Amino acid sequence: MIEVLISAAVLASMYGLVAIGISFTWASIGMLNLAQGFIFTAGGYTAWLFAQYAEVWGITGPALSVGVLILGMGGSAIAGLLVGSVAFLPLQDRANFRTRSLIATLAISLIGTQLWLIFFGPQNKPLPPVFGEGRIEIGAGGISYQQLGTIIVASGMLAAVIFWMRSSRHGLQMRAMMMNPLGAAVVGVSVRTTGMRVLAISGALTGLSSVLLAQIFFVSPTSGTQPLVTGLIISLAGGLGSIPGTVAAAGLIGLAEALTARYLQQSLVPFVLFGIVVLILIFRPRGLGGLLEDVRE
Amino acid sequence: MSKEQRLVGRRAYRPHWPVNSHKVFKRRRWPGTKRSMLKLSGRYNPKTLRREMVLTDKKPLFWSVGLLALLLLPLGVASDRFFTMFGIICIYAAINVMWTLIIGTAGLQSFATLATVGVGAYGAGYLSVTYGIPWPAMLVVGALLGGVMGWLISLPARRLDGLYYALLTLGLSEFMRNFVTQSDALGGKFNGALFGVARIVPSDLLTTQLGQSLLYITAFIALLIALAVFRWVNGGRTGILLRAAATSKEDESFASALGIDFNKERTRVFIIASAMLGFLGAFYATYIGGTSLQIFSLDLLLLLLAMIVIGGLGRAEGAVVGTVIVVGITQWFTEWGPWRIVLVGALALASVLFTRNGLFGLKEQIQEIRERRQALHRAAITGRYAEYLPQQAPDILDKSQIVGRVYEKSLRERLRSWINPDLIAEHEAKPMGQHSDHLERMLNYFRKAPIPDKYAVYCEVPFESYRVVALSGLPGVPPRVVDDKVYPTLEQAYHAVFLRRVNDLRAS
Amino acid sequence: MSILKIDGLSAGYGPVRVLHDLDLEINPGERVGLVGLNGHGKTTLLSTIVGLTGWQDGSIEFRGEQIGGRRSHGMGRTTPHIVRKGIALAPQGDAIFPGLSVKDNLDSGAYSGATWRSRRRRRERILEIFPPLAKLLGQSAGTLSGGERRMVSVGRALMSDATLYLVDEPSLGLAPKISVNLVAALCEIDLGDGAMIIAEQNLPLLEGRVDRVLGMHAGELKLDVGEALGDVPPAAGVHL
Repeated sequence: MIEVLISAAVLASMYGLVAIGISFTWASIGMLNLAQGFIFTAGGYTAWLFAQYAEVWGITGPALSVGVLILGMGGSAIAGLLVGSVAFLPLQDRANFRTRSLIATLAISLIGTQLWLIFFGPQNKPLPPVFGEGRIEIGAGGISYQQLGTIIVASGMLAAVIFWMRSSRHGLQMRAMMMNPLGAAVVGVSVRTTGMRVLAISGALTGLSSVLLAQIFFVSPTSGTQPLVTGLIISLAGGLGSIPGTVAAAGLIGLAEALTARYLQQSLVPFVLFGIVVLILIFRPRGLGGLLEDVRE
Repeated sequence: MSKEQRLVGRRAYRPHWPVNSHKVFKRRRWPGTKRSMLKLSGRYNPKTLRREMVLTDKKPLFWSVGLLALLLLPLGVASDRFFTMFGIICIYAAINVMWTLIIGTAGLQSFATLATVGVGAYGAGYLSVTYGIPWPAMLVVGALLGGVMGWLISLPARRLDGLYYALLTLGLSEFMRNFVTQSDALGGKFNGALFGVARIVPSDLLTTQLGQSLLYITAFIALLIALAVFRWVNGGRTGILLRAAATSKEDESFASALGIDFNKERTRVFIIASAMLGFLGAFYATYIGGTSLQIFSLDLLLLLLAMIVIGGLGRAEGAVVGTVIVVGITQWFTEWGPWRIVLVGALALASVLFTRNGLFGLKEQIQEIRERRQALHRAAITGRYAEYLPQQAPDILDKSQIVGRVYEKSLRERLRSWINPDLIAEHEAKPMGQHSDHLERMLNYFRKAPIPDKYAVYCEVPFESYRVVALSGLPGVPPRVVDDKVYPTLEQAYHAVFLRRVNDLRAS
Repeated sequence: MSILKIDGLSAGYGPVRVLHDLDLEINPGERVGLVGLNGHGKTTLLSTIVGLTGWQDGSIEFRGEQIGGRRSHGMGRTTPHIVRKGIALAPQGDAIFPGLSVKDNLDSGAYSGATWRSRRRRRERILEIFPPLAKLLGQSAGTLSGGERRMVSVGRALMSDATLYLVDEPSLGLAPKISVNLVAALCEIDLGDGAMIIAEQNLPLLEGRVDRVLGMHAGELKLDVGEALGDVPPAAGVHL
């Protein structure tokens, strides 16, 4: 049971990061970023490149781990800015912004996958283990360093972002923009600057999840699709724009996935996830925490 | 006297021709309906005054020429490459037309298109491989499966917001892909590929030219069927009402006020389109003799989306032309490898960034840009025409009148600046006959003044006494005499009228 | 030097043109009332100053600096820059942030630049002007009554370090007594070198409290009466 819980927490923290990135972007700038998969792989490839050079430069141990984490986040943040400058800045005050930016991000993810294929080839790239290898035994079960590290880093990062949003000036500005874009403009918040900042932050969160996920799987041109779909499902179930809802949904989905994989069958995981989300959405069409949309009106 | 009075304010000899446009041409209708085949209107050529017909709606012309080209080009070239490329164009175009029906007419932002197609393809393919059903049965099975799938997917649409629904359906393809991979019966063994499905054209014919041509013709027919379904649903009563509701801020209550059950009709359109998608899936399976997991991949979905976006969302012609462009790029430049997909993505991105609604939305977009420019232009010319801006004269329905008034005002200003003693002296010297340019223009302006209160010369006694009068403008009401001055000659009277008009112009 | 100098300003939305070739000058220390019927361009004039209309053309000089010009798209794109130069707008309706607390709402007004550090002092000043807000600081702004929301909205504008305050329809939708108090409070604020424009439909609310009243009719400024506010005959262009 402990193992299931741990695995649920690991899954929840990894997918939750992506989901919060999607949710956060949607809430503050009204753009649904479906290029999140591209951003995801961008972080993975940056970290992989760094790991390749680190070998040459002789960087090992904690420095390598920190470097992989930071560069993964940085690469994704830059990819996020790129997506913003293509899909957000030019369209931001045009008609049909929502639909058009959605299509634009889809087009970016179409291009992105092919570009990765061209530059890195279709092979899977492994990342070095960031948290070392080993286990801590607790009673009946145990937890590997990798799982522990994932949970700690992901939840720490999340807590930091939420704290920063709650207390700082820029956080206030982002929350203000979520509530009322006109009011935000009137008090001097620039939608464009703030939007880019939001994209960079959610990109960094996605990059972190990319590096964490690459501990289990590999980095490949299409490795962003699965986290994107799962992230979408979580952010939908949590209610787009609601951070508490998204966290709750991430926990729920992670638990469901872990339970299904443990007691039923790995192949049933997508069915279960999909069923859960459809059920949640049928009973609460705005997701678990989806009150924001009403507040926005 | 009575005769002159009748002529006041009226041009008596304007020519009139009888307008009998119903005799100009015979209206042809589609058999069994009241729809006319072509939208023609009869009119008279303004120059030659000959009776002629005008084709007001040129779309049928473009459609038939385009489709004919699509049919004849591969048959004429008859190379394998052309058959493959155009076969794919036809099938994808048919899928896209149905997707357009879902997005544009039903107003459901669904990404479940390829999932439905895949269900049709795998379902019918599985039955064909396992039980050996022939291809016509496959098509029926595909349509049924698609319809059931459509009904299932449409269930959450009643509850969910547009965007939530879009995201949910986006996940569906991934979900279906997992399902097929895990399922042994559906070819999980061969990495999701299904082989040995019954072919629509007998296999032994396929290697020949004739077989290839027949195969292509079946794909073309599939496209024609899709277009016919689109026309039937989109052009029908519910389609028109649904679109009317969608243009007015997607207001469902508005649609129900129009008297249709919005949700029910939307679902109906969605199920019809889904059945058609399932049919196309089954057709695709029998067309290529199998199916593969690629049909559920996100990239193919994005490629299809790119086709629709490049052509223009919500229009059948956009879906077809977009498909021709994108499939043309991906199939023709195969040696470019992944770069051609990048090119397609860049095209889609460009059409999203720079156009409002793809290629076929360009016309409206240019119109809007022009309107905005005009607004700015009007802002720039405030000083001159401030009185008669269209926004300020909302009570005047005929906007050309506003233009006329603006013109009259500027004309009066110009004429006023020409008034000087020389001009008046010129007229006094010779009231009739040839004049200088300025005087001639001024007189022309005076001549076309409206009849009511227009000054005229009244002859009391010929060659002895003339007076200046003002016309009443009403039949049966005599002119009124404006003063008691009597002029001995006609020329003097003319000049007096001229002076009065100049004074009025000055005062205006 | 005048604080705001508008010269030949036209503005509108799409093909509709709302303002017609306006000229206006606001001097330091002045409190100006802008009176006119619904739909005659008061709100549009105030929005145009901060760049919130669809298109605009004409010169707007704020303390000698050009903030207007010709623009046909990018509605609201320049607004943050203009606002940071020292113009504060309390928009029509409220445009407050319903999910944030009253305190956060007020603080967001002091968002730009150095004002953020002095936000506590500024907030206290606002609470002196609008005492009822003091008890509500922790409450979510979405739960406030109409009058309280308006106070938050106006208070948020006053939080900033602005020299020109634009207040749009402070009395709209409020009970008469509340709106009188609100406008009175607005008119008692010490402007120093700054200036304030209050757009209102209700002339008696402003009478005797502001330095001059301008009438707005069909997108044009019709009346510039200076000190002689009391002598304005109702038929002189102001429709009430």
